[in-house]
Order: sequence, then structure tokens, then C-alpha cells
Amino acid sequence: MTLTLASTIAEWSQWSRPFTSEWWLTAACAALVGTACGILGCFVVLRRMALIGDALSHAVLPGVVIAFLLMAHFGIDVASPTGVVGLMAGALVAGLTTSVLVSVVSRQSRSKEDSAIGIVFTALFAVGVILISFLPRGTHFDLKCFLFGDFLAVGAADFVMLLIVTAVVVASTAVLYHPLKVVSFDPTLAAALGLPVMLVHYVMMGVLSATVVAGLTTAGVVMVVAMVITPASAAYHLTNRLWVMLVLAAIFGAVSGVVGMSLAFVFNAPTGPMMVVIASGIFAMAALFSPSHGLVFDRLRRRRMSRHFAGEDVLKAVYRLGEMGQPTDVPGVAQAAGLSLGRTHTLAEALGREALLKVVNGELSLTQAGRQRASEMVRAHRLWESYLASQTAVGYDSLHDQAERLEHAHTLSDELSRELGDPTLDPQGKPIPPASG
Amino acid sequence: MNATQPQTPALSVHNLSVSYESNPVLRSIAFSVEPGLLVGIIGPNGAGKSTLLKATLGLIRIDNGQVRVFDQPIDAVRRRVAYVPQTGAVDWDFPVTVLDVVLMGRSTELRWKLWPGARDREKAFAALERVGMADYSRRHIRRLSGGQQQRVFLARALCQGADLMLLDEPFAGVDAATERAIFNLIDALTNEGRTVIVVNHDLSILSRFDRVVMVNQRLIAFGPPEVVVNEDNLKLTYGGRLSLLDRAEAALRPEEVVKA
Repeated sequence: MTLTLASTIAEWSQWSRPFTSEWWLTAACAALVGTACGILGCFVVLRRMALIGDALSHAVLPGVVIAFLLMAHFGIDVASPTGVVGLMAGALVAGLTTSVLVSVVSRQSRSKEDSAIGIVFTALFAVGVILISFLPRGTHFDLKCFLFGDFLAVGAADFVMLLIVTAVVVASTAVLYHPLKVVSFDPTLAAALGLPVMLVHYVMMGVLSATVVAGLTTAGVVMVVAMVITPASAAYHLTNRLWVMLVLAAIFGAVSGVVGMSLAFVFNAPTGPMMVVIASGIFAMAALFSPSHGLVFDRLRRRRMSRHFAGEDVLKAVYRLGEMGQPTDVPGVAQAAGLSLGRTHTLAEALGREALLKVVNGELSLTQAGRQRASEMVRAHRLWESYLASQTAVGYDSLHDQAERLEHAHTLSDELSRELGDPTLDPQGKPIPPASG
Repeated sequence: MNATQPQTPALSVHNLSVSYESNPVLRSIAFSVEPGLLVGIIGPNGAGKSTLLKATLGLIRIDNGQVRVFDQPIDAVRRRVAYVPQTGAVDWDFPVTVLDVVLMGRSTELRWKLWPGARDREKAFAALERVGMADYSRRHIRRLSGGQQQRVFLARALCQGADLMLLDEPFAGVDAATERAIFNLIDALTNEGRTVIVVNHDLSILSRFDRVVMVNQRLIAFGPPEVVVNEDNLKLTYGGRLSLLDRAEAALRPEEVVKA
């Protein structure tokens, strides 16, 4: 009994491990990292700079280590406000150096930009790792924490730093929304309009470096990259408006931050990876289930379209078979429409529910509405054949196949007919039905 | 100032040379355009037509020569110059609506006011009205046809209120009706005294231009179409490069000169 109670309490305390003062601090930090990264990420994603974001975050290492070395030399405490500013300055210099070096290498050498990015960031990261061994004895620099984040190391200084960085990101995006939109949409046009395109680019790189450093202990550099790219990409799937994308990305970033952080508390797992797993989950959901750009609804729309087309093919087959006095049972219609028996049967039932078709003793017959729709199809088919024959050099054999696809665009029939001078016969001499009511 | 002095040209290009990575793209181009004219730039692919527009706009480094717009350096008159890039160069999945894109044309007018206001919207709607796209203002740019995309870009240039318009292939991927509509709009603009310069692929419409710039790395001819468009000039423009000049350029590359 006592044992169960103890273990229950232990279990419960695992889940209540969040909501401690420690949790509040780290969760706030995670939310801020997510917000800042989400907003910046929108521009990174839209400008196709994901790779350079990756480069930037790694290349910040030498900047941070050199700042460490310098401050150790001058006896400045890294955790003090001056120390924090020093680290930030180191990161900014490193970030800007990266983006300048990348453009220099890709422009002045034979290497293309992706190679240039790969060369520059690994070189700078390597220098950073080597420099760590030059740190004075007793200095604590945890590379693992730098790479993956460590919530135990998150302190009040991180919170203040993140608060400032996030405020800068949010405020500057709000104020510079319009010019940022122009520069991101079409840099060439922006330059033609006299906007400072390069300045915007470097300021953005600078702010991104600052965000990476600020989020360092919370998420770690490797994971910060994902926090930049993933929530913004998820938002990109859900909207066609830039401001909506910015808001969504900020929310997704903050949510992945807080939820990831809390789960890390519960399972005693590293924070950065937890946040990224949540963000990736959100991305997967958006990519699959976005109503406008998601895979699932896209598939559904395609299936509905092909069902719609097949239904129209069935109506047309019944109409044409009736025209020629041939049997309109399911096998006959299936063959004429080029569909399987089962499919034809299902379609016939569905069309029956739409009151376009009747099935009596296995024979399919068109209702008034069905006849009208079928005659529209035949009209479109024959008009398209006439159009293709008169306007293009399409061979006689493939006229029918092409018209078979185009006939589903029967809303254009009237325009088509006018263009052709309202013909009454198609190229094979078959009558073109007149426009219905 | 006396009355016989010629008008300030809308665009004058003096001895312009441009190269990409030491490959010459334009060599010693020179011509000058009076205000109110419709000018067509023609030449084969890779002749440097788009480069000529970009050099005019100061978007690329020029090796040599000078471009003056309304007799001033381009940076002094950006507000008076509108540019319509090729539609192929644009990311059509970018999350912006038709109205957003047109409002971008107001950037030069906004200056320190960072957000477009009611007056800018009014101008944008007027421009959309003029190109017949007012009903599409809230639509995402991906959901437009090629001709509609061109018209939206034209509306953006219109709402900028520029005096010189540089259009890069506005007739590419456009149906006959849209081409007619665009031409009517351009005619109206030149009648208002604006200068329109069009990079163009279609040789069948050359007679509609006031001046034609025939270019293939070098300026082959410049003048009214009825004067300069003839078989000889077309052959020079489209019949391959002037091979001796190409060989001279090749001989002047650093690695060749040092080897010799």
C-alpha cells in the first residue's frame, strides 16, 4: 500500500515537475526563442536562405569562444551583464563575417553558393572548436550545451537577453513590414525602387546571429536552426498572406518551445531536441492537412475531380449509346466510357442520387438534367475537335483523345463556339448539339 | 536656354559596357531616347537585352560608360523610373495578394512613412482598374494566368506614377487579347508623355514601336523601325555574333595574354 502510494506520488511528481519556478523561467525562455525564431524564420524560408541560417548558427561558435577568451583575459565575468553583451558582440561579428565570407567566396571564386556556405561555416566552426582548447584552465565551456542546449544552465541572464532580442525582432518586423515584404518578394525590384537591399540582408543576418546566441543555452545551435526553419515552413503551408504567416510561425515556435521544454522536464530529456520534435510534428501536420496546400486535401481534390470526370464520361456514354440505339446496360456503358464494371456501377448509383441517371432493369437512362449535362459534354467534345482541327496541326487520330480531356472544360463552350463562327457539324460531320437553355 | 535646344532625353546611354565574370555581355552601347516615345529592344537570347535594362537601373556593375536618366544619375531619379521584371524571375508562391504586389510600387513614395495608407490604396486600386484587374485585388498571385500576372506587374509600375517605364518581356506567355490590351495601355502612357522601353521577343510587332534598339552584345542599329528594321540589320542581330570581335575578346582574356 505504502509502496503504491509512494510510486504514485513519484509518478505524479514527474508530471508536476513542470510548474516549478525553474520551469516557469525556462518555459518563458523557450517561448521567446520560438517566437523570435519563428518570425525571423519566415524571411529565411521565403528568401530561400535556410542553408545560410544553418551556417550562421554554427559559425557563431568562434565568435563566442573568442569573446570568452578576450573577457577571460581582461577578467570580465561571462555571466555579468557586460559579459553577456560581450558574447553577443562576438556572435554578431561572427555572423556577419559568415555572410560576408559566403558572398565573397561565391562571387570571387569558382565555387557556387551552396559549396561556399558549406566551406565557410565548417571552417569557422572548426576554428571555434580548436579555440576552445585554448580557453584558460578552469573556464567552463560546454560544447554539448552549445550544440544541443541544456535547461539546467538556463538562468535569468538568458531570459533578459531573449526578452530584448525578441522585442527587437517583433518591433522591427512590425515597423519594417512593408519594405521587408518588398525586399523578400523581389530583391531586384526592391533595388530598382531604391530600397537598401544589402543593408536589409546584413541587418537580418545580424539579428539572426543575435537570436542564435540568445537561444543558445535554451535550445543549442543545431536545434535553433530547426526552430528558425520548421515553424515558418509549417506556417507557409497554411496561408497566402505574409502577416498571417508571421503570426502563425511565432505561435508555432512558441508552442513548440513551451511544450518541448515541458516534456524535457518530465522525461529528463535534452530541451532543444524535444522542442524540435514538437515543431517537426506541427510541420508534418501542416504539410499533410493544410486545406489549401496540404497533401491529404490535395489528394482528395484530385480524387473528387477524377470522380467528377468519370461521372461525366458515364453520362456521355449513355447519351451516345442511346443516340446509336445500342444497349445502355452497365457492361455496355463501362466499355464505351473506358471504365471498369465496378467503377461504372458505383458511378451510376452516385449519379442516380444526383438525379442525373435512372437505372431500370439494369438499363441506364438519362433524366432531363442528365440529358442536358451529357449533351453539353458532347457539344464541348465536338467543338474542341473542330477547334483543334482548325487551329492546330493535331493529327486526325489524336483529335478525339485530346478532345476527350478538353470536353470536361465545357464551361468554355459558348466562347469556343463564337470563336469558330457557331459551327453545326464537327470535323467528322457529326452534329454539334446547340447550347442548352 | 533657347528654344532650339533639344529636350532633355528620358534616357541616354553612353559607351556602356557590362560583363559577367569577365565574359562581355554588352559592349559600347550608345543611344538616346526622347521623352514620350515607345522603344523596343530586340535581339536573340543572351544578347544582353535584360542586362541593358538592369544596367540602366544601376542594378549591376558596369565596366565602362555612363547611363543618365532625365540627364541625371539613376539614384537621383528612382522615383520617376518604374521597372517590370520578367514574370519568370518571380516567386509566385510568395504569400502576397494582387493588392500587396501593386502596393509595392508605392515604396518610393512612402519614404519615411513605412506603411502604405489609404491614399496609396486608392492609387493601387486606380492602377488595377486601369489594367482591368480590380476584381482580383484579394487574390493570391499564384492563382492568376500569365496575362493577368503581367497586368498586375504593370499596375504596380502604374501606381508608382513613373515617367520612364522599363518593361522586360511583358508579352512573354501572354495571349493575343492581353497583348492587345497591354499595347493599348502603353500607347495611352506614351500619349501622356511617358517614355516606355520594352524588351521584346516578337518581331511581328516591331512596326508599333517609335524606336527600335537592335542589340547583340553590340548595338547593331537604333532608330525608327521603318528605317532600321531591314534584312541586313536583322541578319546582323540574329545571325550569330561578329566572330572576329569574339575572337579578339577571347584573345584578351588574362590567361591567354599571360600564356602568350
